[in-house]
Amino acid sequence: MFKKTYDTLLYGMAILAGLLLVWLMVSVITSVLMRNAGLQPFAWLFTSAEYGLLYMTMLGAPWLVREKGHVHIELVTAALPATLRTIVSRGVAAACVLVCLILAWKGFDLVLTNIERGDYDTRAYYFPRWMLTIAFPLSFGMMAIEFSRFVFGTDLMHSGEAGIHE
Amino acid sequence: EESISAVHAFPETLIYTKSFLSFVDKVNEAGKGVIQIDVRGGPEAIGMFQQPDAVRDGIVDMVYTPGSFYGGALPEKDAMVASNLTAVETRANGGIELIDQIHQEKMGLKYLGWFDSGVCYNLWTRNEPTFDANGNLEVEGLKLRGNNVYNAFFTNYLGAQVIDLPTGEVYSALQRGVVDATGWTQIGLIDLKWNEFLNYRIEPCFFSTDLGVIVNLERWNSLSDEARKILQDVAIQHEKDSVEALRGKRDEDFAALEAAGMKVVSLEGEAKANYLAAAREKTWERMKTLMAEQPGGTDNYDRLIELFYDLDAAK
Amino acid sequence: MDWYEALALLLGSIIFLMAVGMPVALAFLAANIVGAWVFMGGERGVTQLLNNGMGALTKYALMPIPLFLLMGEIFFHTGLGGRMFNAIDKLLGRLPGRLSYVTVLGGTAFSTLSGSSMGSTALLGSLMVPEMKRRGYKSHMSIGPILGTGGLAIIIPPSALAVLLATLAQIDVAALLIAGVVPGLILAAFYIGTIWLQTRLDPNAAPAYDVEPMSLAFRFKLLMTEVVPMVGVMVAIIVLMIQGFVTPSEAAAFGALGVLVLAALFRCLTWTAAKKSVIGALKVTLMAYLIVFGSATFSQLLAFSGASRGLVNWAIAFELAPLAMLLVMFAVLLLLGMFMEQISIMLLTVPIFFPLAQSLGFDPIWFGLIMLLSLEISFTTPPFGLLLFVMKGVAPMGTTMREIYTSAFPFILCSLLLVALLIGFPELALWLPSM
Ligand code: NA
Ligand code: NA
Repeated sequence: MFKKTYDTLLYGMAILAGLLLVWLMVSVITSVLMRNAGLQPFAWLFTSAEYGLLYMTMLGAPWLVREKGHVHIELVTAALPATLRTIVSRGVAAACVLVCLILAWKGFDLVLTNIERGDYDTRAYYFPRWMLTIAFPLSFGMMAIEFSRFVFGTDLMHSGEAGIHE
Repeated sequence: EESISAVHAFPETLIYTKSFLSFVDKVNEAGKGVIQIDVRGGPEAIGMFQQPDAVRDGIVDMVYTPGSFYGGALPEKDAMVASNLTAVETRANGGIELIDQIHQEKMGLKYLGWFDSGVCYNLWTRNEPTFDANGNLEVEGLKLRGNNVYNAFFTNYLGAQVIDLPTGEVYSALQRGVVDATGWTQIGLIDLKWNEFLNYRIEPCFFSTDLGVIVNLERWNSLSDEARKILQDVAIQHEKDSVEALRGKRDEDFAALEAAGMKVVSLEGEAKANYLAAAREKTWERMKTLMAEQPGGTDNYDRLIELFYDLDAAK
Repeated sequence: MDWYEALALLLGSIIFLMAVGMPVALAFLAANIVGAWVFMGGERGVTQLLNNGMGALTKYALMPIPLFLLMGEIFFHTGLGGRMFNAIDKLLGRLPGRLSYVTVLGGTAFSTLSGSSMGSTALLGSLMVPEMKRRGYKSHMSIGPILGTGGLAIIIPPSALAVLLATLAQIDVAALLIAGVVPGLILAAFYIGTIWLQTRLDPNAAPAYDVEPMSLAFRFKLLMTEVVPMVGVMVAIIVLMIQGFVTPSEAAAFGALGVLVLAALFRCLTWTAAKKSVIGALKVTLMAYLIVFGSATFSQLLAFSGASRGLVNWAIAFELAPLAMLLVMFAVLLLLGMFMEQISIMLLTVPIFFPLAQSLGFDPIWFGLIMLLSLEISFTTPPFGLLLFVMKGVAPMGTTMREIYTSAFPFILCSLLLVALLIGFPELALWLPSM
């Protein structure tokens, strides 16, 4: 049950990231057309695209971990024998979990600070900062979970495949 | 000997940064054996919009930045934006002291000094500006580049079609005709090379630069009395010196621009008065709205306007 | 901490983490955590790191990357790209490595005019590499030229980096932009020579097959129906840009729209193709952006800790002959370029290098161009050239980082050769601006 809810969240976030990518295109086209028609483009078109870049990256990043889409270099792992490779691979994944946990924790701190100080991001509008930074604890927290699958699960992050190709 | 770290918002080659670096040199000269400023760099060291948070959190001890970069936390900076006075008068009348006090209360920062004041903004256009029957500037058809400092004025009063662009993209936007007018300070246009495309300066100028030195308050309080005195004295002296220096630079720039064919067009009479009134009042309006949402409310509003704006001089 | 200790700590951690196979973005983040902890005063430094990363990501200038990717993916998944290459294959007859030449020519035109190195690498990579692999090209024959031409974006105008460099250095913007034209074209010619050499040395690098003879009328029809519409989309967005209808950052959105319309007209726009295109573009964008998030902050830590400035000041403290001094500065730029992003390098080095160049009697425009070339090279130098990672993202499964590094190598040599030429014959750069 928990797994199903979690997976729905993960893929839901990825779908949202995809929609944001499409939104980038739509917002840019709309504001250019408005401008050239002599109208004043809505400032929120521009601002939402800039914020969209952050939201898109953070919402999609955990899904990309699952898809093994974060590029890494198979140099050491390709040269190692299988058992040792397993150990190194799981160790690296564990280090990734640690990095993500630290960032999730400090990201959460940042959200609290932003709320407490009443911080605003001041571009075209005054936008509550915590609504942006909330993406950090969510994204890095879920990335930590995804990386931990490569620590404890059957699947490894490193294939050692570079060795086959080279 | 104590040492405090510092970063500046703009690249090292910009005139305003050079002014700050000369302040640093003066402190390091006067503060030998007592206090030194260690400049860590500009936006390449900490992003320009992240610097105010960095000094608040004590990552760095001192930052030289426009108040507008932290206008969300301190809307009172608009008193300086709309000001027609310089740091010299507002230091004397207690204005800067009030700004310092607000910085301390709202952000935990010491406001050390308002540098490079007395520089105002003009509208610069590619084509000859036109005026209506009442002598007001016609903005219809003008592709005006803006940002959140000017927009309260440009959009709400002038009703202009504003295109938000970061400074770095303006050169190519002018080149391609994406924009054909922009606001900018009296100086610096030549450094940015925008004068290659802009041919008219519209007078009168409005607003003021709001560049200041802010220091983490905890760090400030931890310094020795002697160190604090040196920093504050040198800052007050630099407030004066920088007004002089930049006025000289402005005259130089204007002469160079004129020699290269820049023409000056001026609003007159009532149209001029309305234009200036709108620039300050739209900005004050924004300040008041934002202040009302914060703790402390609009208590300081009237006093800020009284200290930072000389209505008689505007006439 | 002295600058070299800071440098060793930061570079040491990133190199170690990447070597053991930590994802590049995570390696940057991990090194940033270490660096922030040491240089920014403990855990609050980590908070600052998140703030800085947010600042680096929410920039309009990053917009072309996902949109050019989307454009390339739609080309690919709707089959429009395949049709165009079939036609070009037939039209160019028996020329070995013809698609590599097409890549250089198209890449030069497109990347220079679009002005976005990462954007055009993303577009050309997603468009050409899978298609050329399918046709039996060895991967270096597609990856190399694309990486090479991607860098041309900043040499040949319009170039946002050149404008920024000129304003930072207070030199004539127009002169620097024009100075890049001839060297940029020479570089493109070198790339063509490299491909010719590669097909000569290794005839199997590119497929050789017989082409049936075709009537002139058939060739014309092929050209008009299969090539002109696709190329037309790219030409159209370039025209929109030159006309001032769109800024370079906005052009990519119209490119993607143009291909969508084209696919609809050719009746090959399916729901599946659209979905696959968005997913494909999203994957590479996310990968690249998370690296941007990490590497931008890493650049800042190198600057804030004093490591990079220490290196620069140390290097220029040697009192050498002008030519040797030039090589020292060039080496420093290349070294910084391996680990820092371009704008940070300029902000850091311009105030130091330009006065020095002037005191050595160098022409500032010429020196500016050499500097741009070093930045161009740094886009594709291992280990951290951003174009390499974009390429890794768009290349077919099983393409290794090492293949990408080795593909880039000959094209980096071309750039170095060009720098040598410019040192020998400065008029190559200075002749056109002096006209
Ligand atoms: Na270009
Ligand atoms: Na190159």
